[in-house]
Amino acid sequence: MKIYVSADMEGTAGVCAWAQVDPSNTHEYPVYRRYMTREVRAAIDGARSAGGSEFLVNDSHWDMRNLLWDELPEDVRVISGARKPLSMAQGAEQRFDAAFFTGYHARIGEAGAVLAHTYSDATLYDVRVNGTPCTEALLNAAILGLYGTPVALVTGDRATIESVTAALPWVVGVAVKDAIGYFSANTLTPVAACAAIADGAREALAALPRAKPFTFTPPIELVIETAKTEQADFMELLPRVERIGGRAVRFRDDDYPTVFRAFLAAMRIGGAANLPA
Amino acid sequence: MKLYCSTDMEGVAGVSGWQQVDARTPHPEYELYRRYYTLEVAAAIEGARRAGAGDVLVNDSHGPMRNLLFDELPADIRVIFGNRKPYSMVQDADTGFDGAFFIGYHGGIGDPNAVLCHTYTPSVIYELRLNGAVCSEATINAALLGAYGVPLLMVTGDRTTVEGVQAQMPWVHGVIVKDSIGTLSANSLSPAAAQRAVANGAEQAIAKASAAKLFQLVAPIEMRITLAKTEQADYVAMIPDFERSGPREVRFVHNEIRTVFKAFVATFRLGALA
Repeated sequence: MKIYVSADMEGTAGVCAWAQVDPSNTHEYPVYRRYMTREVRAAIDGARSAGGSEFLVNDSHWDMRNLLWDELPEDVRVISGARKPLSMAQGAEQRFDAAFFTGYHARIGEAGAVLAHTYSDATLYDVRVNGTPCTEALLNAAILGLYGTPVALVTGDRATIESVTAALPWVVGVAVKDAIGYFSANTLTPVAACAAIADGAREALAALPRAKPFTFTPPIELVIETAKTEQADFMELLPRVERIGGRAVRFRDDDYPTVFRAFLAAMRIGGAANLPA
Repeated sequence: MKLYCSTDMEGVAGVSGWQQVDARTPHPEYELYRRYYTLEVAAAIEGARRAGAGDVLVNDSHGPMRNLLFDELPADIRVIFGNRKPYSMVQDADTGFDGAFFIGYHGGIGDPNAVLCHTYTPSVIYELRLNGAVCSEATINAALLGAYGVPLLMVTGDRTTVEGVQAQMPWVHGVIVKDSIGTLSANSLSPAAAQRAVANGAEQAIAKASAAKLFQLVAPIEMRITLAKTEQADYVAMIPDFERSGPREVRFVHNEIRTVFKAFVATFRLGALA
């Protein structure tokens, strides 16, 4: 079986602060990138024992070159590096038997969720597709779904698991920690988390017959609420992006990859508004 | 007679280096040249009014777009101040103007013998073409004015800039305040002589305004942008309806110049982040 893994970091066991997941941090980040890599490894090992044979891992955190090669099997392929047109779902344009989301986190604005955000907390205040507030998991699942790949496993804090399984009820969730607040969690140890993730991956592949590819129903309407008005000023420059409020823009198209690319373009040009005027 | 003035700084008499026009990391020379810049704008207004211009709107269109010194300007004009305007150097030109001046303008990026030539953001925009023709700031700005029904009446700047504009818009009155020797040197009029020339030019431009035509692009408008770097093309290719037409090139086609203009602004904003 061919497995796609999108690997984020905030939902790794033990993580409860930006310093642990910020690549410019020389003290805590090197420790936690190892734990992140081991959780990915655990998912691969678990899947392999249930029939997984071919793995593509998309490093999907921050500048997207976090994974430590020494901790990964030699026969996987890895997508490394930032600015990918499909970002956390890069490489999903071929059909996989299943997708795993490891180390994922909750959406911006959700309470009781460690480091909750949606792509860029500096720019995006809320992201809705067809009226539904979206996690990164749902935005990415819809790209995979379009190419026929179902999400089978998600790992992260309990809030993340609950929101993903509410939207995608066939997904097996592994809650490696319970958030107390944005910057605190009651967590499994990394070793125990890896064991739970390996079990979860096995279970996910066993449950695959009831998993479904997720898609948004066209016409697709994307609404972005921005953190600041000047970010919406910039987003409004983009063709077909409509200003619907002081801090809100809208984009509509029938084709989800077009919507997703517009979402990334809006997020990035919004980031440009954060530079000095 | 309502007059619109889009005012830039590189084409002001005496300017030949970036320090003279750099408002962001102010150099002592900037304070001197922003004054000469303001005085050329004031001269244009004075000349235009000698020929009957009434209401004047000045859009400060250089750098952070808050360079003009109010003390040196007539009290009864309006000024557009500040950055990040969606229509940038031609913001608010759609409110019934009879004509427009481009003051202190400069050559397009890649023009030889054009002091401080660039097209909006030189670190991002390597070349801009609309319907196949290479464009300067003057060209794309004039195209938006043309769509609003506002003719360009006068341009001031170095010889390359003025002659470049007149090649596309022969009805435009030009005032050449300097001859560029290269990108960083010019043989220039003194500021006082330039101000007199700009005032006289403005008077003549208004006097013959009835002969001016509109500069309009034929729809569908095809915009091709060559980027300075491939990673910028990676970024801007994400913009809705943009096509990656080459490793360092994107293409966008639309019937409306307003949409094309905003898409161009989006390109250099987003490209700057890459």
